Amino acid sequence: MDAPAIATQGLTRRFGDLVAVQDVNLSVAPGQFFGFLGPNGAGKSTTIKMLTGLLAASSGSIQVLGLDLAKNPVEVKRQIGVVPEGLALFGRLTGAEYLNFVGRMYGLDRETAGKRTAELLDFMQLADQPKTLVTDYSHGMQKKLALAAAVIHGPRILFLDEPFEGVDAIASGTLKAMLQRMIARGATIFLTSHVLEIVERLCSHLAIIHKGRLVAQGSLEELRAGVEGQAAAALAGASPGESPSAPGEKLALEEIFLRIVGSTRRSDQELSWLG
Amino acid sequence: MAGLSFSPGMRGQFAAIARVRWQLFVNRLRNIRGRLEMVARGFMFLGFAAAGLGGSVTLGALAWLFITRGRLAWLSILLWFVFLFWQLFPVMATAFGDTVDSSGLLRFPLSFPSYFLVRLVYGALEPSTFLGSFWLLGLAVGIGIADSRFFLWAAIVLLAFAILNILLARMIFAWVERWLVQRRTREILGAIFFIFIICFQFIGPLMSRVGRHSHPGVSRITTLVFPFERALPPGLAAEAIASAIHGAFPPAMVAFALECVYTLAIFLLLNIRLRAQYHGENLSEGMARSTAPKEKRAIRLGWNVSGISGPVAAILEKEFNYLSRSGPMLFTFVMPIVILLIFRLGPQTSARQGNFLAHAPDLAFPVGSAYALLILTNLVYNCFGADAVGMQLFFVSPVSFREILLGKNLAHALVLAGEVIAVWIAVCFMFHPPAINITLATVTGVGFALLLNLTIGNLLSIYAPKKIDYGAFGKQRASTTTVFASLGIQAAVFGLAAVTLLIARAFGSVWIAAVIFLILAGLAAVGYITVLNRADRIALDRRDVILAELCRA
Repeated sequence: MDAPAIATQGLTRRFGDLVAVQDVNLSVAPGQFFGFLGPNGAGKSTTIKMLTGLLAASSGSIQVLGLDLAKNPVEVKRQIGVVPEGLALFGRLTGAEYLNFVGRMYGLDRETAGKRTAELLDFMQLADQPKTLVTDYSHGMQKKLALAAAVIHGPRILFLDEPFEGVDAIASGTLKAMLQRMIARGATIFLTSHVLEIVERLCSHLAIIHKGRLVAQGSLEELRAGVEGQAAAALAGASPGESPSAPGEKLALEEIFLRIVGSTRRSDQELSWLG
Repeated sequence: MAGLSFSPGMRGQFAAIARVRWQLFVNRLRNIRGRLEMVARGFMFLGFAAAGLGGSVTLGALAWLFITRGRLAWLSILLWFVFLFWQLFPVMATAFGDTVDSSGLLRFPLSFPSYFLVRLVYGALEPSTFLGSFWLLGLAVGIGIADSRFFLWAAIVLLAFAILNILLARMIFAWVERWLVQRRTREILGAIFFIFIICFQFIGPLMSRVGRHSHPGVSRITTLVFPFERALPPGLAAEAIASAIHGAFPPAMVAFALECVYTLAIFLLLNIRLRAQYHGENLSEGMARSTAPKEKRAIRLGWNVSGISGPVAAILEKEFNYLSRSGPMLFTFVMPIVILLIFRLGPQTSARQGNFLAHAPDLAFPVGSAYALLILTNLVYNCFGADAVGMQLFFVSPVSFREILLGKNLAHALVLAGEVIAVWIAVCFMFHPPAINITLATVTGVGFALLLNLTIGNLLSIYAPKKIDYGAFGKQRASTTTVFASLGIQAAVFGLAAVTLLIARAFGSVWIAAVIFLILAGLAAVGYITVLNRADRIALDRRDVILAELCRA
C-alpha cells in the first residue's frame, strides 16, 4: 500500500493558553479529494497552515508524501501547491508577472514559466487584463490567480483554503473541472470550505474538526453510516416518531456535519419582532 | 438644506455615531500600542493647545498693532496666514493616509441633511479647525482692544470667515477623498504633493539669492497678485474690517456680502460632492475600468541574469517592478540630487549660512552618497514590509530565505550603485569632478556601510517587520525597534567614518581611508554572510509573528 499523501500524528497547536488544534491524527491517501470541515474557529485554517509550513506545530509530526515536513521543508514545498487564506499575492505586479515569478520560485526555467503563465491566464480568463495590477483585480479574479499560481509547477498535492469563496458560478465551474482533472491524473487535493454542497459533490473523503479535535474521518459513506448507526442506536430508546432520515433517503452532508458537531439549527427559536 | 431639523430619530442617530466613536476610542486603549499612541496624542494635544493659545495672542497683538499704527491693509496678511494653514494642514496631514469611509454610514436610514451634518461636524473635528477658530478669536479680541466699537463687526466678519474655512476644508477633503479612492489618481495626487514639497525646499535658497536685492521680477509679481488677493476670501474679510474701521461702510458691506457669496458657493460645491456620495456613487477601480475588451499580449519572459539562480533573479525582477511602480520611492531616489541642487543654488558666499559645500566642494560626492545610503535604509531595514500577504508565498515556496534575502539585497545594492553613479555625475556638473582618491574612499566607505546596513537590515526585517505600502505617501512608519536600531547603526557608521577620516588626515592621505574602509567592509561581509546563512532558521522560528504582522488587514 502507498504511503499516505498527508499524515499527521498528534498534531497540536497552542496559542498561549488556547489549544487551537489538539492531537490531530489525519491520514489522506494519494489521489483523494479530501474535504476538511469544521465550524468557525474549529481549527481548520490553523491545521492547513501547519500542513503547508505557514505555522509551526507546537507538537506532533507532519508527513507529506512520506517526507517529514520539519526535516525536509524545501523538498515538501517543491511538491505541494497552496492557496492560503490571504491568497499570498503581490499586489503591485501584473497577473502575468506574478505567475512568472511564482513559477521561477518553484524552480521552473524562464521558458516553461512563461508558457505556463500564458496558458493559465488564458484558462482562468485573466489574459485580457495584461497591464492591470493584481491589487486592482476583483476578489474573484484574485482567487483565480492564486489558484493558477498554486498549480503552475504541477504539484502532487494541492492545499486549498476556501477556494470557492467569492468566485462567480462560471469561474467556479472552471475551477471544479480543473481540480477534478488533477485528481484524475493522480494528484491529491486537500480542501477546506464552508459550502457543504460543493464539498459533497467534489470530495471523496472527509474529516471534521470541532473545537480543535478531529471528530470524524473517512469517506462520505463511512461518515453517513456512522451517523445513521448512532442515530439508530439512540432511536432504540427514543420516541417512535423520530428517524435519522426518511426511508430510502440518504442523509445530506449538511445533516451529517450538524449531527457530528452536535449543533442544531435554531429555526425553532423565535425572534418574535422579525416580520 | 430644506428639512434640516433635529427630529428625535436624527438625534438618536447622532448620539449613536458619537457613542460608536467613543467606543472605538476606548477599545483602542486595550493594547499597549493603543495606549502609547494615546500618550503621544496627549503630547500632541498639549502642543496644539500651546500653538492655539500662542498663535491667538500673537495674532491678536499683531491685529492691535496694525490698527493702532494705521496699517489696516496688513490685516489681510494675518487672515491669509490663518486661511492657508486651515486649508493646507488637513490635506498635508491626512490626504495620503487612511480616509474616512463614508459608505459605512449609507447602510443606515440616514436622511441627506443628517448625512451632510455628520460629515461636516465629525469631519471638522480636527486640529486645523481648533487652531483656526482660536486664532480668529484672538484676532477679533485684538481688534476689539484696539477699537472696541468694531469688535462686534469684526466678530461677525470673522465668524463668517471661520464658517467659510470649515466648509472649504470639508469641500477640499471631500474632493481629495474622491480622488484618493482610485489607486491611479491617488498616486498622481501623491506625485503632485511630492513635487510641491520638493519645490518648497527651493524657496529658501532662491530667496537667499534674490532677497538681498530689490528684484524687479518680484515687484512685478507682487503688483500683479495684489488685486487678486483682495478679491479672495481672506482679502475680502480683511477689506470688510478695514473699510469699517475707516468709516467706509458701503465697501465694508460689499466685501462682507462677497465673502458670504463665496461661502454659499463652497457650500453648494460641498453639497454636490456629498449628495453624490449619499446616492451611492461607486468609484472602485473595477467600475472605472473600460468595458472594451483588451487585446491579449505575448507573455514577457522573466529576467535572465547570468551568475545567479532563477529564484534570486525572479526576486530581483520583482523588487525592481515594485520600486519602479512606486511614485513615492522614485521621488525619494531623486532626493540626493535635489539636496545637491539645493546646496548649489544656496548662497555661495558664506559657510555660516549653512552652505558648507560652497566652501568644501570635495565633500559633495561623499555627502550625496551618504544621503543616498540613508534613504535606502528605509527599504533595507524593512525589506518584507511591502510584500504584505505575498510573504506567505516565501514560506510555502521551496526557496530558502537566504536566497530571498540575497535577491532583495542585490536589488537594493544595485539601486544604491545607480544612485552613487548619478550623484557622481551630478557633482561633476554642479561642482567639479571628485578627485580619484575621494571617489575611491567614498565608494569603499559606502560599500562598508551598505554591508553593515544589509546585515542589520536583514535581521530587523525578520525580527521587526512592518507592513507598508510603496504606493502611499506618509504614514509609512517603521517599527519602533527598527527606528532605534537604525539610529544606532547610522551613529556607529558615521562614527567609524569620522574616525577613519581623522586617521587619514593625520597621515595626510585620503588613500588610507579607502584602505581602512576596505578592511571594515571585509569584516562587515563576514557578518553579512553569517546572518544570511542563519536567515532561514530565524525566519522559520519567527514565521507566526512575521505573518501576523504582514498579513493583517
